[in-house]
Amino acid sequence: MKFFEDVEVGETTRFGRYEVTREEIIEYARQFDPQPFHLDEEAARASMFGGLIASGWHTGAMFIRMVCDSMVPTAATSGSMGFDDLKWLKPVRPGDVLFVESVVREKIESRSRPDRGTVKIESRVSNQRGEVVMSLVSLVIYMRRA
Amino acid sequence: MKYWEDFKIGEATDLGSCAITEEETLAFARKYDPQPFHTDPEAARQSIFGGLIASGWYTCALMMRLSVEAARREDAAATGSPGLDSCRWLKPVRPGDVLAGRTEVLETWPSKTRPIGFVRRRVEMVNQRGEVAVAIMGITMYERRPGAAA
Repeated sequence: MKFFEDVEVGETTRFGRYEVTREEIIEYARQFDPQPFHLDEEAARASMFGGLIASGWHTGAMFIRMVCDSMVPTAATSGSMGFDDLKWLKPVRPGDVLFVESVVREKIESRSRPDRGTVKIESRVSNQRGEVVMSLVSLVIYMRRA
Repeated sequence: MKYWEDFKIGEATDLGSCAITEEETLAFARKYDPQPFHTDPEAARQSIFGGLIASGWYTCALMMRLSVEAARREDAAATGSPGLDSCRWLKPVRPGDVLAGRTEVLETWPSKTRPIGFVRRRVEMVNQRGEVAVAIMGITMYERRPGAAA
């Protein structure tokens, strides 16, 4: 198990593989982001995106799924306080295959809670062509060794 | 139609509200954020949260739905978002909570290259006790009023 003490600034990880399907893009959009370019092939073709694209928040959801599958099982994390500087850089389309590259940027000890700390992790989500589609800096809570 | 020109700094809008159900909280978490304190009520009781809490990404998804519905009500010519400055999950969100969305325009500026403009806004999701549970600073893009773009 990886605790706060074990995390090193500069540490880099590459993980995840998420196949984006048309059905899932539409399902997410129907529930949470019902804009025409996320919902409807025809309307999306006529939009500035030229075809169906995933909701940016759906890309965020796919990102956290990859984090849950690859990193959480071996890390003593306890959720997240949020994130900074999220950028949606390229459209995510049906058929895309996404992966993540993460770099630890900073470790912040908690003054009020000595049992944990915050780790700033910069992540880039890329597609099968190596284009970065989304980037963000997450504030992840790591527990310290007891 | 509400275009970029129609957004004024300081303008505040209520986005409406939504109820958090255990069923929907679990369904989202099982698909996208399967951490025990989001997916397993028993494990959640043992965690530092003391009970099931919603995925932060789920609360953002609900914020998005309220925003889309509000934009539709005012017939805004929204064309997506390049990103967010920050997002903070300040309070746990639990089944039974009711979250109300509100937003305020902080800054507006036109695109130099396209017939669109940008709006920087604060968006908050506030629970039934008046606590801000989610706070976002984000940017949205809107079409320019036809004929108005220089």
